[in-house]
Amino acid sequence: MVTVWSFLVPDGADFPRPELARIFFWHFPCPMMLSALLVVGVYFSLQYLRASTSEAKRDWDLRAVSALELGLVFGCLTMVSGIIFSYSQWGAAWQWDPRQTSFLIALLIYGAYFALRAGHGDPDKRAANSAAYMMAAVFPLLFLIFVFPRLPQVIRISFHPNDTVMGGKLHGQYLYVTLSLLALVSVLTVWLYRLRVAAGLLHIKNPDGQLETHRRPTGPTVVARPVPLSSEGGENR
Amino acid sequence: MNSPWKTEVLAVFRKEAMTELRTKSGLATGALFGFATVVTVAFALFNINPNRVDAVFRDAPLKDVCASLLWTIVLFSALLSLPRAFLAEEENGTADLLRLMARPHAVFWGKMLFNILQTWALSLFLSVLFIAFTGLEVPLPGVFAFCLLGGGASVAGAVTLCGALAAQASNRAALAGAIAVPLLLPLLQWGVTGMKASFGGGFEGGGIAAAVGMVSYAVLVVVVGPWIYAAVWKS
Repeated sequence: MVTVWSFLVPDGADFPRPELARIFFWHFPCPMMLSALLVVGVYFSLQYLRASTSEAKRDWDLRAVSALELGLVFGCLTMVSGIIFSYSQWGAAWQWDPRQTSFLIALLIYGAYFALRAGHGDPDKRAANSAAYMMAAVFPLLFLIFVFPRLPQVIRISFHPNDTVMGGKLHGQYLYVTLSLLALVSVLTVWLYRLRVAAGLLHIKNPDGQLETHRRPTGPTVVARPVPLSSEGGENR
Repeated sequence: MNSPWKTEVLAVFRKEAMTELRTKSGLATGALFGFATVVTVAFALFNINPNRVDAVFRDAPLKDVCASLLWTIVLFSALLSLPRAFLAEEENGTADLLRLMARPHAVFWGKMLFNILQTWALSLFLSVLFIAFTGLEVPLPGVFAFCLLGGGASVAGAVTLCGALAAQASNRAALAGAIAVPLLLPLLQWGVTGMKASFGGGFEGGGIAAAVGMVSYAVLVVVVGPWIYAAVWKS
């Protein structure tokens, strides 16, 4: 319903192509979700490093990677929707805009996190080293996403608006659709996150709650070739 | 392990120095790669004056390019030589001995201090070569030195930490570099701004601000790195 509504609102004013300004409705929630999932992922990574039992570590690692995987998806959606918006409005998909560029670097750091995970075969080492990397990456990420785009010298030269929602530049239906879509995408994010964590837990545990590595065979052991035990039987019978 | 913290740091530092002086593999690899890259860049700038100022825009675009080229050379030379600090321990089977002999902070500090000195030496050598081959003028040598020191320390700290995190992975040498570069991209932006200013292509104030930013990044890495390493020490 909100999607239909987003297509029924009037075209945006002050845009070279007013009818395509509504891409903003889908672009805006994505970096919001990325930021929220980043904070959540960093928190879970920190909790992993502080945990003392292997089960607690496993759970925190699963939650961290679930949040950061979803965050990467939203990051890619942010970049793609931003590129489409930029191309449709200003005729150039990539303009080395400071905000675009800083976001690209943030995505590269995200990618490095998953590259580090992929390089470790042992799950404990994978979890520990990737959690540590996220601790090292949190300062550059926070700087690139929250601080750099708001520097005065960056705002002066950037095409990307900085205070569209918080600065009250959206009015009427545009504001309502934006906030409605933000709420909808937030609910979707929480649902996807919970699904991902549940899938991860299923991957680790079998249905009766035991770890796969600790599963014992339940049926009788079948011997393929019964061997006679007594010497009277003999092999030449 | 009741020895003072300073003793352990110096012991690890001395071990790194003696190993490097014996084999010279890190310095030789980084210096050779850097030298070859400087020569390649010099071929591209043959017969071109990088100090030329554009008459219309009153800007020196080649100084921007030279600043970024110099940082690329320094960064990739460091990426070739620095991760070995931890990778070599895993490959030689001495990592467990190190875990028994010293505390994690001391190990990280010892290796990082050595890597910082190695990066400073390498970047000074490559900078002198670069300036000599390209004929660049450096009207602000103080800003240049400040950028080199701050940037070198940041690169060394970050690459040392990433080497520690990738030491037990497959394809560890390439992975250490791959995960370090995204962390260093914001630093490199400051580095290019600072270097460009030191070459006379930008504002001196902007160059000093960039140099201060790089030193701040170095302080952050040096302070936070040992704690992060200690968290994965036993895994």
